[in-house]
Amino acid sequence: MSTVSKPTHIRTWPFNWAIVRYRPWPIIVFSVFHIVFLAGRVVPGLIEKSVFDTMTGAAPVALGLWSLIALYVSFELARFSASFGEIWGDVTFRYSVGALLQRNIVASILRKPGAVAPPVSSGEAVSRFRDDVGEVADFPLWTPHVIGEVLGSAIAIAIMARINLFITLVIFVPLVASVIASRMAWGRLQRYRHASRVATDRVTGFMGELFGAVQAIKVANAERDVVAHFRTLNDARRRATLKDRLFGELLQSINGTAVTFGIGVTLLLAGRAMSAGTFTVGDFALFVYYLWFTAELPGTIGAFIGDYKQQEVAIERLEELVQPEPANVLVQQAPIYADGLLPAVPVPEKHAEDRLERLHVSGLTYRFPGTDNGIKNVDLSLTRGSFTVVTGRIGSGKTTLLRTLLGLLPRDGGIITWNGVAVDDAATFFVPPRSSYTPQVPRLFSEPLRDNILMGLPEQRVDLPGALRLGVLEQDVTVLERGLETVVGPRGVRLSGGQVQRAAAVRMFVRDPELLVFDDLSSALDVETERSLWERLEERRAASTMGAGGAMDGGTVTTPTCLAVSHRRAALRRADQIVVLKHGRVDAVGTLDELLPVNHELQRLWRGDVGDARQVGTPGTDELATPSFA
Amino acid sequence: MYVSLSHYRNLLSTYLRPQRSQVMLLAILLFSSIGLQLVNPQIVRTFIDTTQRGGPERTLLLAAGLFVAIALLQRGLALAAVYVSENVGWSATNALRADLTLHCLQLDMPFHKEHTPGELIERIDGDVTSLANFFSQLIVQVLGNGLLILGILLLLLREDWRVGIGLSVYTLVTFLLLRAVQNVAVARWAASRQASAEHYGFLEERISGTEDIRGNGGEPYVMHRLYRLMGTLLQAERSARLVSNITYISTNFLFVIGYALGLGLGAYLYTQGQVSIGTAYLVVFYIGMLSAPLESIRTQVQDLQQATASIGRVDRLLRMAPAVQERLHVALPNGPLGAAFENVTFGYDGGEPVLQNVSFALHPGRVLGLLGRSGSGKTTLTRLLFRLYDPAVGTIRLGGVDIRDVSLDDLRGRVGMVTQDVQLFHASIRDNLTFFNRRVTDDQIIAVLRELGLWVWVESLPAGLDTELGAGGQGLSAGEAQLLAFARVFLKHPGLVILDEASSRLDPASEQLLEQAVNRLMGGDGGSESRPTGIIIAHRLQTVLRADAIMILEGGRVLEYGSREALLRDPNSHFNRLLQTGLEEVFV
Repeated sequence: MSTVSKPTHIRTWPFNWAIVRYRPWPIIVFSVFHIVFLAGRVVPGLIEKSVFDTMTGAAPVALGLWSLIALYVSFELARFSASFGEIWGDVTFRYSVGALLQRNIVASILRKPGAVAPPVSSGEAVSRFRDDVGEVADFPLWTPHVIGEVLGSAIAIAIMARINLFITLVIFVPLVASVIASRMAWGRLQRYRHASRVATDRVTGFMGELFGAVQAIKVANAERDVVAHFRTLNDARRRATLKDRLFGELLQSINGTAVTFGIGVTLLLAGRAMSAGTFTVGDFALFVYYLWFTAELPGTIGAFIGDYKQQEVAIERLEELVQPEPANVLVQQAPIYADGLLPAVPVPEKHAEDRLERLHVSGLTYRFPGTDNGIKNVDLSLTRGSFTVVTGRIGSGKTTLLRTLLGLLPRDGGIITWNGVAVDDAATFFVPPRSSYTPQVPRLFSEPLRDNILMGLPEQRVDLPGALRLGVLEQDVTVLERGLETVVGPRGVRLSGGQVQRAAAVRMFVRDPELLVFDDLSSALDVETERSLWERLEERRAASTMGAGGAMDGGTVTTPTCLAVSHRRAALRRADQIVVLKHGRVDAVGTLDELLPVNHELQRLWRGDVGDARQVGTPGTDELATPSFA
Repeated sequence: MYVSLSHYRNLLSTYLRPQRSQVMLLAILLFSSIGLQLVNPQIVRTFIDTTQRGGPERTLLLAAGLFVAIALLQRGLALAAVYVSENVGWSATNALRADLTLHCLQLDMPFHKEHTPGELIERIDGDVTSLANFFSQLIVQVLGNGLLILGILLLLLREDWRVGIGLSVYTLVTFLLLRAVQNVAVARWAASRQASAEHYGFLEERISGTEDIRGNGGEPYVMHRLYRLMGTLLQAERSARLVSNITYISTNFLFVIGYALGLGLGAYLYTQGQVSIGTAYLVVFYIGMLSAPLESIRTQVQDLQQATASIGRVDRLLRMAPAVQERLHVALPNGPLGAAFENVTFGYDGGEPVLQNVSFALHPGRVLGLLGRSGSGKTTLTRLLFRLYDPAVGTIRLGGVDIRDVSLDDLRGRVGMVTQDVQLFHASIRDNLTFFNRRVTDDQIIAVLRELGLWVWVESLPAGLDTELGAGGQGLSAGEAQLLAFARVFLKHPGLVILDEASSRLDPASEQLLEQAVNRLMGGDGGSESRPTGIIIAHRLQTVLRADAIMILEGGRVLEYGSREALLRDPNSHFNRLLQTGLEEVFV
């Protein structure tokens, strides 16, 4: 089922065109204000020239000194006020386009099989979401900036050339050379910057290792030796950073040096003309004023070209996040609801054809890429209201079977039918109201417990208290200080492993699906809690098969069909069907009574009650050790 | 938070004194470059006045040449100053980083239980980095720029007292206004950072929880939340940027006013015939120069506020002292070290006792097999031997000496431990074996590796001992990692070895090598005189049979303790019953 497609690439210009088209207005507003702001820098120079020329009488008095100064102040005030429009356009564009890219990437990640390891770690993915998205959203804003600077400089140079062509040429020809110089130096600056970042990573990485291994270091009496090594890493970082800073500073001072050079040339060449009165003091002031901003141009152009290259890399890094989907998924137009007027989360409606009568799986196969591990040719049949337990040793493929069935791993072979109809895209099919799933190590998110359970379902349309009871969580909720409003996760209240697992079970129950899929609840539940969970589930199944369920909670209650991975006796005893897996294949299928006398694997599991999730030293495992010690 | 002046002084003197000459050089560079900045406008004035007077062309050329020369020299000096100041800053902060790291490593385990590595990195590297500016820039910048402003004002005063006074007032007012508006957007920036932290936290969690989301059809809900967070982020960022633009505009507008003031004053004085046109230009030029140092002093003051918070945090960290203290330096005897616990009771953080009234005595050179369920106190017992914690009651002796009377160096140098969880560094195999101790020679390392049967493997690696291990020992099997841990202990020639046996299933080849390693370490084959004393937390029968004595812990108490042979002979011993049930059934 997994289609291997060649990664596609989207080129820089089409990419930029697509994002500009997505939000043209903000960037137009930004461009207009920014270009006016930059090109407007020529005006104060002209005013200054007029002031001096008026003073020296070199030019006819047009406005009068004080009017000129008032003009200067009001013009600058207007120019700076324009920055509000500029900022509005800048931020709106940057964050809208950033939101579109992030939206598209998250949507793409959520379309992938849920249990396939992402191409990069989640920490790395977040840094791409932040830095690379920032990088690409920033680039289109460079263009108006460069246009503004070029335009401003062009006007300035034209004015200067009209005053004195010769001096202007002598000043600006070398500036062209400095464009090339700073462009060349830019590549080197990037190298230095990279080296300094690598050196920094080594320092912080080593600190992380040190503080992660404190006990080993203390025991080895190595505190001083490791810190000595830390010093050498620090020193390497100092050298790399110094190089980077010095070179960056050097590049910046090209700018200043060009100004200095320009003023010097003006002084050298204008002296005679000024004495002769053909080059006024006002002209001189204007030259000095204009030199300051025209000299910025080489640096800007150099950085622009460099940023273009950097954007290429950033686009590639973002493409990796959406693979194997084509790269243009990144820039697909879609609403981002920046105004906050969000449509409600759709509630899945149950239709007649969703009702599970019979789920059949044959020849289901999944191999972990590059290995021989996985599941092979698994056949499985579930009928409405039945309780099936998958069991087997560590590594026998239990979790893989559930994941492959649900499309959380892309299957390599096999047919799945739901009431006799083939299911092609398992991942989009096995969702509520048809099925719901609790992974072996469920994850809750940093938000209120209620939101974790409901995940957007409207509370009035579901049976939350019933689901809480079914998941044996109702007691815990009353104990929590803020009940269902308790924020869980790293920034909130730490729930115990068992509570997390039961909350995940409630999350599944509340969706009232046709098929419930559990992966090994026992890894964090004590025997007692697990038993009551199975009991309550059984009650419910019994009640609903008898047709009384409908009246119980005032809603329609589905007869749940259960598929669970477990090695606990409580579960095995209740099973209508036990599937024993061994080395990724079905070893036996039957009830406990049928299998226990004949199946060696099951005997072993039953006797020892030893399944997996029994690593040494993990808290909470002691209670599982059946043979009593004393 | 209040940080007294003496804190600043202490930090500065501790970390800058070793670089006294560099600091002096920095001051000289900065002050000369500032001085040169003041000179050039004077040259331009002379130049302009000369042209207006029709003065000699030689003077004009000289002025132009001098201008370029001084400007270039000033740039060179400024560049050198940047270099030196960065160097001073990095050297000082690196020293502080190393001191803090050593200090934290020497703090007790309870400290490290409370503070994650990520948090410590942030406190040490993050806080110290924000101090870099404090070390290298603050004083020189504030002093230097202050002098520059003073210089400009004095030179203006010299031209005309009204100009001087007027601009002094302007400078003062501008500075105060800048300080007043610099914080208008602080609350909005905090909101924006908060929105951003929530947004990226949300993303990180969902990306690592795709299985739960897909399995329960949660995608529409996740997208819904994402839109909401992104919308909030956009609003927060936009309002923060727009409000802080007020600062930007006011800053620039104040400079515009200053410039206009300069133009006006210059023009007025010139038209009144009180100054030359060159001087009028000089006034304008100097006023244009005022903005940069004003801005720079303002940012320095702002930085100082951040630095103050960092200094406070660094200081609090440095003031923490370990509870485990050395009191005497009695030397441990040479050779194998006997170990004895005398009525030892201990609980973490003074809480529930994990060990209760534990007593035993292990003779030098003998091996103790330690058994018990997880949580029975086995690991805690070994930790006490290293003084990672001190017992609440009772005494622990090594070689007959109370370990509280031994220096930590001596104690930890003579006791070796191999744990199940081997901590490896992203560094060469050599450094991983020696813990970066450069005094260990390659010959010593190779000898140990040969003895362990590991040398063939290490030699086969592309760079031998220099082969870099990945972070967290990536690319090594559990067995190989354990063998490296053995080699670490061998290099110490310990008098007491503690071995927390791996119970995880190893591949047969590593298992065999490990078995040999234990044999060599514990001298299991014959019992030479120099073999170290051993304490083995045993998970396998084979290991237990190697022990001379057996101790079974339960709930922190000694359930059974005696020589292996005696316990074996006693049909009612717990030990015997254990052997019948099978160790693995009980202890896994």
